[in-house]
Amino acid sequence: MARGPEGFIHMSRPLAPTPMMHSNIAPLNVKIQPQAVMSILDAKSRHLGPSRAIGALIGVRSEDGGEVTVTQTFAIPHTETEDQVEVDVDYQKQVLAMTLKASPREHLLGWYTTSAELNSFSALIQNFFASPETGTHPHPAVHLTLETTPGQTPKPTCYISSHVAVSAERAAETCFFIEVPCRVSTNETDRAGLDMISSGINDESRTAPVVSDVQSLRRTLESQIDMLTRVGEYVGGVLDEEEEPNHALGQYLMNALSLAPKVDPADIERDFNNHIQDVLMVSYLANTIRTQIDLSQKLAVAVLGNDKDAEGKTEGSNEKGPQRGGGGKRGRGGRGGGGGNREPREPREPQD
Amino acid sequence: MADVKKSVPIAGIQVESLVVMKIVKHCSSTFPSAATGCLVGMDQNGVLEVTNCFPFPSVEAGTDSHQNDAANTAASAPRAKSNLTYQNEMIRQLKEVNVDANNVGWYTSATMGNFVNMNFIENQYMYQKDNDKAITLVHDVSRSSQGALSLRAFQLTPLFMSTYKEGKFSTESLRSNKLTHKEIIKELPINLHSSHLITSFLHGLSGPPDVSEVDMPVSVEEIERNAPPVPLNPSIDGLELSIDPFLEKTCDLLLDSIESHYTELNNHQYYQRQLAREQTKISTWQTKRKSENAQRAAAKQPLLPEDEWQRLFKLPQEPSRLEGMLNATQVDQYSKQVDNFTASISAKMFAVRGTLLYE
Repeated sequence: MARGPEGFIHMSRPLAPTPMMHSNIAPLNVKIQPQAVMSILDAKSRHLGPSRAIGALIGVRSEDGGEVTVTQTFAIPHTETEDQVEVDVDYQKQVLAMTLKASPREHLLGWYTTSAELNSFSALIQNFFASPETGTHPHPAVHLTLETTPGQTPKPTCYISSHVAVSAERAAETCFFIEVPCRVSTNETDRAGLDMISSGINDESRTAPVVSDVQSLRRTLESQIDMLTRVGEYVGGVLDEEEEPNHALGQYLMNALSLAPKVDPADIERDFNNHIQDVLMVSYLANTIRTQIDLSQKLAVAVLGNDKDAEGKTEGSNEKGPQRGGGGKRGRGGRGGGGGNREPREPREPQD
Repeated sequence: MADVKKSVPIAGIQVESLVVMKIVKHCSSTFPSAATGCLVGMDQNGVLEVTNCFPFPSVEAGTDSHQNDAANTAASAPRAKSNLTYQNEMIRQLKEVNVDANNVGWYTSATMGNFVNMNFIENQYMYQKDNDKAITLVHDVSRSSQGALSLRAFQLTPLFMSTYKEGKFSTESLRSNKLTHKEIIKELPINLHSSHLITSFLHGLSGPPDVSEVDMPVSVEEIERNAPPVPLNPSIDGLELSIDPFLEKTCDLLLDSIESHYTELNNHQYYQRQLAREQTKISTWQTKRKSENAQRAAAKQPLLPEDEWQRLFKLPQEPSRLEGMLNATQVDQYSKQVDNFTASISAKMFAVRGTLLYE
């Protein structure tokens, strides 16, 4: 749904200085799942100090390495001043190990920062994440920047890097960032969650209650009706020669209308009745079963009048004995042996 | 019951959207097996804020031989010892990056509302006995795939907590505690909350078009290519018309419940029969001893003690009623769920009929 950046020229990526890499020069695509973006934003809002927040990207890499999906992130404490940067490498190692333990199919993909700026510290950290010992080598490390200036929509940008051979001493702190296409991808399952959380985004308090199915259905229907009204108004406007007619729109609307299935009214009526009966039947059964079990739970602990003495005496009270615990009572009813006074049991039997 | 903690009720639960998305992602990635994880956050003026979460590793390194079942491992993961250390360690690490480092409960996934079981109770008991505000978030994966997110928060009631602590679920104790299956768990209302940054991000994800005046398209292809993003809320997935799978699944689950109800029932019947048999034996013995004593009294011999039966006969232990109560709670959940479903699906069906039969 989020559209990928158009107009990217895919160039072969820079080769890491290794002979093994020659097979892997396909362009790289980065997909970011919404919860990863959110956790970056959360890390940013919890980050103290004026500098940016940084953290690691975890996710899945496709088999040929041509596509990576960022599924989660974790923040790494670091301090950054004018002339030096300190990253808590131990922390990164520990949390990485723990995160991967919980999601064994995922890998370290790279790192993120919460400012759009690339500087020489970025290069330093990038080289750390791309190195063979601590990083993603032989795969390229992905660097994701997410602009978090207030008032702007956070928009992720992804880079991969190659070494720039300025001189041997400076190799660790220089690198060449190449932008790669990336997009925020949502799937079916995310949609429900996003739907629910974004119901509150136009609210002052940014909160929204979790609503029931019926309420959300109502909201959906209202918005559908709203959209239909708008289209209807437009079409009416065209017919009244108030709006500029447009062939493409007209054709599009015709296409949409022609999707409506042509079904025989009798068929519809029949299918409708069948289904509504199914639904009501299951609903009825479920409630009956609930009532039964409710009742049996009540009887299980109920103090019945004459049971105390009836129970302990003789075999002769066999008929009565089981009455006491309620357990016996349920059994009799359930097997259809119950007397006429326990009619409500009946509907359960077809289920058995 | 003096040791029962004074329970201050939680005024509300506020779940960060980050937590919602993380739970959704974790639960759907492990579907259909269960997923569990830990919630962290803080309690602020009676409102429990859940601000972050992390999954528990579900694959145990072959430590417990009896936990072969993967689903079972995940469900009991919160209680596993290795996970306890994992959880504490993770919370300590999260503290480093200023995340609210208090454990406020756990989350679990469910399929069609079938989450009420012993694992659930044991996990929640474990959390709630240390922190009486601990909650469980239950995310129902299969219901969420029908459009509307199903995320619910639960707690055990204080009454159940105290009863569970004593571990007695006999008829007598239930009667004296007045504990019924309706009072095992209570559901708490949830509010979702997003930070400013996330709100801004969500706006970017699905805002209305930036420009108010759009140029008229030239061809149908152009419309299709430049389709505006589908608004996230209200989502059109809620209009999905799938009836039969839901009904089928519900019937299956109900049948399972009936099955376990019968198992419980048979256990109790068995117990009743045992009890009756033992008691018959005892009373026969007592009668015998009495008549014997009567003879002895007549013969002026010393009487035999009449309470020896307590030593000779052993009354069977009453089976716990907990399973049955949980089952009842579960059925309660199912039927509520069906009611909800019926309400929305019949509305949708009438809508479909109205549209198709429109003259």
